[in-house]
Amino acid sequence: MNAGTPSLPLPGALSAPGSHAEREPAASIEHIRFDGVGIRYGRQTALSGFDLTLHAGEALALLGPSGSGKTTALRALAGFIPIAEGHIRLHGRDISGLSPQQRGFGIVVQNYALFPHMSVADNVAFGLRARRLPRAEMRTRIEHYLELVGMRQYARRRPLDLSGGQQQRVALARALAIRPDVLLMDEPLSALDAPLRREMLGELITLHRELPDLTMLFVTHDQSEALALADRVGLLRDGELLALDVPKRLYDRPPNRFTAEFLGQTNLLAVEIPQHPDNDDMLNVCLGKQVLRVPRPDDWTGAPGPGWLCLRPHLLSLEPAAGMNNRLDSRVLGAEWKGSHYRIELEAEGQTLHVEANAALPPPAVGNRTTLSFAPTAGWLLARDV
Amino acid sequence: MSTPLPLRIRRGLRLPRTLWLLPPLAVLGLVFFFPLYELVQQSLSGGAAHYLRVLHAPIFLSALGHTLQIGLLSTLGCLLLGGVLAVLLAFVPFPGSSLLSRFIDAFLAYPSFLIALSLTFIYGAAGLVNASLMQLLHTSVPPLNFLYTTTGVVLAETTFYTPFVLRLLLAAFGTIERAQIEVAQSLGASPWQVLREIIAPAALPALLAGGSLTLMLTLNEFGIIFYLGAKGVITLPMLIYGKAIQEFDYAQASVIAVVSIVLSLALYALYRLSFNRLQRDHALPL
Amino acid sequence: MLFHSKFARRLAWGTFFLLSAVFFGLPLLMLLLAALAGQWNGVLPSQLGFGNLLDALQDARGHALFASLATAASATLCAVVLGTWGALASRRLNGAAQRVIDAVYITPITLPTVTVGLALLVAFSRPPLLLNGSPALVIIAHVTLITAYAYSGIRAGLARLPEAYEQVAASLGASPARILFGVTLPLLRPYIAAAASLGFALSMGELGATIMLYPPGWVTAPVDVYALTNRGSIFSGAALSVLLLAATVIALLVLNRLGRHPRRS
Repeated sequence: MNAGTPSLPLPGALSAPGSHAEREPAASIEHIRFDGVGIRYGRQTALSGFDLTLHAGEALALLGPSGSGKTTALRALAGFIPIAEGHIRLHGRDISGLSPQQRGFGIVVQNYALFPHMSVADNVAFGLRARRLPRAEMRTRIEHYLELVGMRQYARRRPLDLSGGQQQRVALARALAIRPDVLLMDEPLSALDAPLRREMLGELITLHRELPDLTMLFVTHDQSEALALADRVGLLRDGELLALDVPKRLYDRPPNRFTAEFLGQTNLLAVEIPQHPDNDDMLNVCLGKQVLRVPRPDDWTGAPGPGWLCLRPHLLSLEPAAGMNNRLDSRVLGAEWKGSHYRIELEAEGQTLHVEANAALPPPAVGNRTTLSFAPTAGWLLARDV
Repeated sequence: MSTPLPLRIRRGLRLPRTLWLLPPLAVLGLVFFFPLYELVQQSLSGGAAHYLRVLHAPIFLSALGHTLQIGLLSTLGCLLLGGVLAVLLAFVPFPGSSLLSRFIDAFLAYPSFLIALSLTFIYGAAGLVNASLMQLLHTSVPPLNFLYTTTGVVLAETTFYTPFVLRLLLAAFGTIERAQIEVAQSLGASPWQVLREIIAPAALPALLAGGSLTLMLTLNEFGIIFYLGAKGVITLPMLIYGKAIQEFDYAQASVIAVVSIVLSLALYALYRLSFNRLQRDHALPL
Repeated sequence: MLFHSKFARRLAWGTFFLLSAVFFGLPLLMLLLAALAGQWNGVLPSQLGFGNLLDALQDARGHALFASLATAASATLCAVVLGTWGALASRRLNGAAQRVIDAVYITPITLPTVTVGLALLVAFSRPPLLLNGSPALVIIAHVTLITAYAYSGIRAGLARLPEAYEQVAASLGASPARILFGVTLPLLRPYIAAAASLGFALSMGELGATIMLYPPGWVTAPVDVYALTNRGSIFSGAALSVLLLAATVIALLVLNRLGRHPRRS
């Protein structure tokens, strides 16, 4: 997993104008619906009771570790594998029995599968030939889509002569040339090296902005890709959809422990929640002898019991600052220099946690006691049994 | 984005996939399994008594003995020669060794009867070796006469079938990590120890598969023995040819053919068994 | 890498060269010499020249070479079609059914070629399937004996072909026929060429079944080489063998070229 690599986009950076929170479709039209879809490979269940609705024009990322069923869901939608139970609907119509040909989706697979015996132009033309497009129209369309991905000057080349990024663009042009209203991408960036991946990610974001009617479903194991590109992210584990929401809310308010840990780094502290009045927006929770004030989850029943306090390392501070009203006494166990910051390991009430500290300041000495501060809104409570 | 283009797919023949298997299977049935069935029918035309008579005839028993003897000796020869060449080629590589291994690979395209013909130019009565020896020893009688005996047949078959073993062994050696050998050597293992403890275990399944393949092929071999024209060396395929073509005795020929088919199929089963294991362990293509 | 001392390594190389020269190089060399020989009274042949080779292209022997090429070409074509068809059609069968099809295809090459010849002789020597005496029977025998190689070669190629190509083609709207002829078969081209090469080479050298079945007007080169050497025309036999080998090598080179993808469309 890439959690914690320096390339992780900070969620704050995404809440610029026009960000996800605002792009969330208000009056969304249902485009594709997975309706209790189950898929088995032999005796093994790859997906079970899978429900998911894609709205017209949105980009939805299916995120999860390998073997979580995300690629299976995409391949089922493409029509590559039969579904054992449930339905897949397109504009409400059941398409479960249709062949890939009849679905007309654009698809970009993991290693692009460009036909090596055809030129770049012939690859893009493939779907148009199958549709018996008039020659002149075919030519303009090939040029248009190669232009769109910036590959027009490579039209006569062979795919094997192209770099990974160029192959990816050609695969995209080939998928888009049939003018699908659904684009499926299976790990579109995983075959590229890191700098190229960042570049292509930017281009996919641009593409999504330029083709607002195109519904996109893409599968990735890299949370940073999902957070950056998708309007909504679905998180899968063991063939089950564990979370589905806009990226920012998923990151800031994860519905369960798996989501909290899979999307970026987090501290999970075991806390006790005492009996509490119903009408307060905030809760007091106990970490050992220390009391912390955190937001009250919407679905909080009010019953006392154990919980997880979820704290992102970059929201914790060694220096008290305005608004950071929570205080946590702790002891320094170690410090690791990470370039952009120090990763400090601390112990509080017998539990270990990490803090990202300013690299410009010297890290605290190991063994020292220190007081951590964080804003009440930085904390997030989860039920302990998940 | 405009609405998607309507698809114009003609609904082609949507037969169940397995139906597509019928035409090639019908052809194979007609040109192979039907003749095989006819052959078995022919062999049974004389009844069980005829079978017993043919199988008890001294000529059949001696042919069976020759076939097994030549097959086993040639297989042994191939395993030895192929083993030595493969180890040298894989683990003491020299510039151009890959080219050479491809030349030996190309030997598979060399018809087996040509080996027999070529060997007569070397070891035949007037061949290279005998002519040299006769000049050296000042005699007019060729001193080496092994070519038209079992030894000559075994030499020719060993030459012809060694590339098969070599190919399998090289593929198996390709799966040994070079680092394994280097680590063993850095731990103080002698070449002999490396050979015995690292290379040999990896080669064992390939030797088994190569051995049973070679045995099957050498038991079936016809061209080499036919060309050498070794008088005393009658194998089962030679006997079948003799009975059918020279004596027009299809009844006897088909009995012997059926027996030799059963023998071959049994050996093939053995080969598959060891090859499956090899494939499981090393992911080898055929 | 097995030996680090220079001496041991040289010894190993020496052994290797000696063994391969004696077992593989020398036979080929002597065959070539014999094909060029005008006379062979001493240790080595003398009066070398191309006379034998030119003779071998004339009349009956030229016809033998033609019969071999025609047989090999038609048998290879049939075998490749049969093998490719079977490999494609049996592709998504379950394990047991696949093993049955494998066995059906492979069995012919596990048997002595002489028995295959005999079986064909027995089956096709009487009406309604009277093929005895026709070149077709020779070709049928060759098809039987080389289809297995085509089948297993294509099957190995298919196993290595990522299914993504065909799936993407389907998603782009291509019909099954367009996928087969536009994507699958072109991608299989190297394997088809390799299968054809092997089949062609084996067919060119086939003797066991041919000698049971050949009609007088269809004497293949291996049969003719046997007839020649048996009559004592050893150099002519060697010359025809060398031409047989040369024709095989040329055919293999051509097939190898066809198997490669052109760089540009």
